[in-house]
This record gives sequence, C-alpha cells and structure tokens, in this order.
Amino acid sequence: MLGKLSFRNAKRQAKDYCIYFLTVIISVALMFSFNSIAVSKDISELASWMKYFSKSITGISIIIILVMAWLINYTMRFMLEKRSKEFGTYEILGIEKKSISKMFTLENILIGGVAFIFGIVVGTFLYQIFTSIIMNLFEQAYKIEIEFNLKAVGITAIYFFGIFLLVLLNCRRKIKKTKVYDLLYADKKNENNIIKNSKGNIAIFIVSVVLLIAALYINHKEFADANNMKGLNILISIIMLILGIYLFYISISSFIVKRYIENKSRKYKKDNMFLYRNLTSKINTMSLSMGTIAVMFTIILIGGNVALLMNNLLNNEIEMGYPFEIMVSTVDGDFSEYKEYIEKNTKVTDMYEYRLYCIKSIGISKALEGTAFNSGSMDGIEYVMSLTDYNKLREILGYEKVDLQNNEIIINCMKTAKEVFTEYIKDNNEIEMLGTKVKILAFYIALIFIMATATLLAIQQLSDSEKYKYRYELLKKLGMDELQMNRTIFKQLFFYFAIPMLVPIIVSIPAIISVSQIFKVAVTLQEIWRNIAIILGMLILVYGIYFIATDVQFDRNINGSR
Amino acid sequence: MKKILKVENIQKYYGNKDNITKAIDGISFDVEEGEFIGIMGASGSGKTTLLNCISTIDTVSSGHIYLENQDITEIKEENIAKFRRENLGFIFQDFNLLDTLTIEENIALILTINKVAEKEIDKKILEISKKLGIEDILNKYPYQVSGGQKQRCASARAIVNNPKIILADEPTGSLDSKSARQLLEIMEEMNKKMKATILMVTHDPLSASYCDKILFLKDGKIFNKIEKGEKQRKDFYNEILDVLALLGGDARDVR
Repeated sequence: MLGKLSFRNAKRQAKDYCIYFLTVIISVALMFSFNSIAVSKDISELASWMKYFSKSITGISIIIILVMAWLINYTMRFMLEKRSKEFGTYEILGIEKKSISKMFTLENILIGGVAFIFGIVVGTFLYQIFTSIIMNLFEQAYKIEIEFNLKAVGITAIYFFGIFLLVLLNCRRKIKKTKVYDLLYADKKNENNIIKNSKGNIAIFIVSVVLLIAALYINHKEFADANNMKGLNILISIIMLILGIYLFYISISSFIVKRYIENKSRKYKKDNMFLYRNLTSKINTMSLSMGTIAVMFTIILIGGNVALLMNNLLNNEIEMGYPFEIMVSTVDGDFSEYKEYIEKNTKVTDMYEYRLYCIKSIGISKALEGTAFNSGSMDGIEYVMSLTDYNKLREILGYEKVDLQNNEIIINCMKTAKEVFTEYIKDNNEIEMLGTKVKILAFYIALIFIMATATLLAIQQLSDSEKYKYRYELLKKLGMDELQMNRTIFKQLFFYFAIPMLVPIIVSIPAIISVSQIFKVAVTLQEIWRNIAIILGMLILVYGIYFIATDVQFDRNINGSR
Repeated sequence: MKKILKVENIQKYYGNKDNITKAIDGISFDVEEGEFIGIMGASGSGKTTLLNCISTIDTVSSGHIYLENQDITEIKEENIAKFRRENLGFIFQDFNLLDTLTIEENIALILTINKVAEKEIDKKILEISKKLGIEDILNKYPYQVSGGQKQRCASARAIVNNPKIILADEPTGSLDSKSARQLLEIMEEMNKKMKATILMVTHDPLSASYCDKILFLKDGKIFNKIEKGEKQRKDFYNEILDVLALLGGDARDVR
C-alpha cells in the first residue's frame, strides 16, 4: 500500500516538480561529462601535457561535485518544504513518522534513479560536444560516436548517490524531528535571523573582514617565497577565505534588514518593502546560498586565472623555445640524412638551413647575471646569426622583415627578459619580441565552469519563481501593473545575482596577484592583468546572459497564468 | 444620493456555439454612494462571476458597468491595474495576506503600490488599525494571529486607500460565527462611520442581514430584491430566510 502510494507520488512529483527533476538530470549530466573527459584516453593521448589537462579536469569536477551537492540539497529541501503540508496531513490521519520518512525516501530514490539514467544519456551528448571542441582545437578529426565509458559511469554513480543519500538522510532527520504543527504551517513561516542583536552582527562583520584580509596576507607571504612555501599555511588561508566569505554574507544580510525594514521612510519607498521582505523571509537560506555562490565565484576567478597563467607559461615556453614544427641541429653542418627522413615521412612546406655562430661574449649576456634567467650556460660566449638568416626565419613564421643599421644588433629573448635587457643596454639597440597566441583551452574550461554554475543558479531562481507566484499574483490583484511588476522582479533577481559577485571580485584580484608571483619569470604583469580582465569579462558576460534569461523566464512564470 | 455603480444589462456566456452556459443573463442594478449591498444566491447562480466582472478580473460578454460614469468594460488592458488600485478595495475569502509581511506591512502594501508618500503611510495605518482594533498586532506576522484578526487586517487594507467601492467575496466564509459577527460589525462601521460603499457576495443569511439592500440571483438573473429600510436586523434576517425558501431548489444548501 505504502509502496503504491509512494510510487504514485513520485510519478506525480515527476510532473509537478519537473524543475527538481531537471536539476538532478543537469547535475548528473555535467558530472558525467566531466568525469568522461577526465578518464578519456582520446583526450589524454592528444599531447603529452594533456595529461595535466585531464588531471585539472578532475580537480574541476571536485568543485562541480560541491556545486551539485549544494544544489541537490537545496532542491530537496525546497521540495520537502513544498510537501510538508501533505506530510503533516498524513501524520494527522495517523500515519507514523517512520512510514512517512520511508515513503519520502522511496520516492526520492525512484526519482533520483530515473533522473540518473536520463542524466547519463544527456551527459553522453555533452561529452561528445566537449570532446569535439577539444579535438577541433588540436585539429584532429573526430567522429562522433556513442561511446559508453563504464569507468566514468561508475565514478559518477558513486559521487551522485553519495551526495544524494547524505542529503536524503538529512531530510529524513528533519521529517522525524519536526512537529506536526510546524509541518502544517511550514510554508507560512519566515526565517529569523541567526544573529539577533546588531552588536553581534557588527562583531561578525569585523571578524569576516579580518579573516579575509588575513587570508590574503598569508597567501601573499607564502607565494612570495616559492621555495619555502608551506602547504598547510595555504590550506589555512583557503579555509579562512571561505569562512570569511560566509560570515560576510551572513552579517551583510542582517545589515540589509536593519537598513530597510527598521527605517520606515526607506521601507515604504516604492517596492522596497515587498522586495526586502521577499529576501529576508528566507534570510538564513539567502545568506548561505549567497555565500556559497560567492565561494564558487572566488574559485572560478582564482582557478581560472591560475589556469591561464599556467597556459601562458606553457605557451610562452613552447613558442619561444620551439616556434617551428621540426627543428634539427647538428654540429658538423651535415643535414642530408635528416632531410631524407623528413621528406620521406612528412610533407614539408618550407625548410631553411641556417648557421649559428658561437662568438666570444660582447657583454650582452652579462645583463642576465644575478637574475632568474641566468642558467650559467652562456658563460663567456654568445650565439649570433646573420640578419639574412634571421629575416628568412621571420618570414617563415609570418613576421615582417627587420632592418639593421650599422652598429646595431637585435637581441632575441624571452618576453619577460625584455626589461632586464633594456635596463642594461641603454644604447639605441632594437629589441624585438615574439608574440603569443590566445590561450584557448583555459578559456574553454573556465567557460564551461561558469556556465555550469550559472545554470544551477538560474534553476535555483526559477524554482523559487513558483513560490513567488502567489505573492506577485496578489500584487496584481491589488492593482500593480505588469510593467512595474516586471521591474520589481528584475530588481529582486538583480539583487540575487549581483551581490554574490561583490566579494569574489574584491578578494580574488589580490589573491591572483599573490599567486602569480611564482610565475614572475615567465609571465608579465601585463599578461596577468589581461588574464584577470579576460576571466572577469567572460564571467560577467556569461553570467549576464544567464541573468537576463532567468529574468525573462521568471516574468513568464509569474505572468503566464493569464 | 449619488449613484456610484451602475450595472447595465450585462451578460456573461461561457462555452461555444452549441453548448452555451449563461453565467450572467441580463443583470441590471445601481449602487448608491454609502450603500452596503449584498448579493446572495446558491452556488452556480452567477454571483462570483458578477463580482469578478465588476472587479475587472473577468470581462463581460455584453452590457456595461459604470463606476462613477467611467465604463469599466471599456478600459484598456494596460490601464486596468491602475484603475483597480485607485478605485477598488478587495476583501477575499481566504484573506490573501502575504506571509512574508507583518500585519502593518500588509496594509502598507496597497499604499506603496499607490505611491503614497512615506510619511503619510504610517499615519494612515495607525488611524485605520485603531478603528478596526488591530493596533496591538501590527508587528505580528499573519500566521501568528487568528482568522478574525487576519480578516480585519484584510479589511483595513481594503479601506485604507479610500476606494470608491469595496468588493467583498464571502468575507466570513472561513471564520467562526463569533469572528464573523465581529467582522460584520466592523464592516457595518466602515459603511456607516467611514462612509464606505461595500458590495458583498455571500450565501450566509447572517452576513447578508448586515446589508442595507440584498439582490438574490438565480440562474444568472435577479430573482428578488429586498431592502432593510427601518427594520430591525433580526426581522430582516427572517425576511432573507423567507426569500431563500422561495428561491427553492438549490437554495436548500443555502440554509
């Protein structure tokens, strides 16, 4: 009987709570596609350093798991709240709590199971898309084929059901603990602020700011001296950072209450009252979810930038060291054997032979003495080549020819060594630099990650729109026109989307600059700022698109009933 | 007396060509300023449809409704909300209060929608809440007060903006008899002392006995019309029961 009831409920739920269902499917799909990439042989065999890419994907999927855990927890709690009246009624009818929580468990396992299967299917497609993008980057032909990676399925299953069961147990505990009365009136209750008095609130605010500053300081000190970096200290600073962000959002929501609810003239202005009551009725949930989103963004900003830095490093090294497809060097000047082999096995579009002369130092390399660029191999000698050879090589690489007047030389060096040389040589010598390509891969990782988080945020907001429907409908009955209502909705969503951006931006920029200290040798400050601008710009752009889409859908959900 | 509401031969049809349901079938009546008018009838008699048409929530199929010479059946879609918030006050059966707002803020809501100056709002709320006896519970949330108190808060919200007419849909429907009486006395006071014009839909004879005038609907038509005049409320109550008996048929579930 109970099994039947719970099966019917789950079936009805799948229809009623399709947002919940969708959330779980998207969560599983994202998790699965990331896991598939992490274990994919196709991708890790693309290039030797792609192994690191796969590893970093594993790291990212850990963050994705955290997002999923939070979201699944959020939606399941949301459903529990929606259905608490029904559960209360069951209890009044005499069904035992044990049976109710058993029913809830059965239902959710059923829904979770079905959603998992759908998620794997959707995730397979997602994986195909990601893979073909990556293959495209490497100019590899990729035929889309449905490949079922059992290892990825297994990992995803462990992650997903691990999270799912934990959340479910938490909900069961909640059902068992809650009194009938509270179950029946759960949807009417407003949350009370955790912090009651304003003094405590100010104290928490100060603590959060101190924690954030201290975390940044420790971070800065540790990265300043890369050789004596202590992992423990960095871990401590990360924990302090996360704690600081959460405390900041808890205290700031209390400030909002103070500012707008207790000051009547401010409260009664325009739609302030309605808006802020909407937010504060779920003040604890709000501050926690804002804190979580803020932590996510901090991770995206810092992680994305570190990834870009790594790629800068990698690209700079590859390009500077090996700008050509094939480079062969000999001491005796006989290339015939190599030429034969190369022409037999590859199609060569262009080939050029040049000589590098080893001369006694004219003093240029002295510039590097005492800097991080000094490898000791240049002691007393320098390598030079003719301008004709140099220009020919430039031509192959697609650069313009350069001219030299009498008594001029060109120094070919790493971009970051430019300053060292220019300071050393205060003559009229020209110095040419090699450019760098855009770091596409890091760009993609960050993009996918931002999209994942933004999707989840949008889903969270849209699931709330159902809850807000009643409130906005009353406003309509009382005579608020649609335009004004849409404006109010916009404000409400803007608040939700914008506030969590605040702290991450302020906190991550100094953190990134601290971390980049260890890349100082290979990456310029300009590049660091450009990285920050790229990641931030991308975040704001993608996030903005999601915000607008959410706003449009929210309006539709509220106004759609007419 | 000035006519505030004029309903002119309105009809409301549902369904298609072959299967027409006439929810309202040619109803005309006037409401004068300061009147407390009741509309009675069994379920399905068209009384809620009538109220919805007057409150611009629904549209008529034919006929006209004038509120102080403005034809509300001709108002453009984009102006309806404005018309509603400036001219009408609502009391709903299930209160329709927002759980996120305190009692005070629930009353303030309609004023903020009408963009009343912030300083005025406080004054108005205090004044109305004293009259309706809810000044002690202003800072509580709806789930912390009784049903009667909730409905008084809803009444305060309906009148605080001085609407031309207050529309009440079964206001005592979810109240016990004591709270219902309390609410009706308050509505009577709103009508007599604050000069509010009230149109109330009800199927409860006790509620109806507080009105000055009652229209009885049957099958979408006006079946009967009685006025209280100088009668005692008790006598008027008995008169209502007599008409309901005459209505017969469906009216049994009215008793």
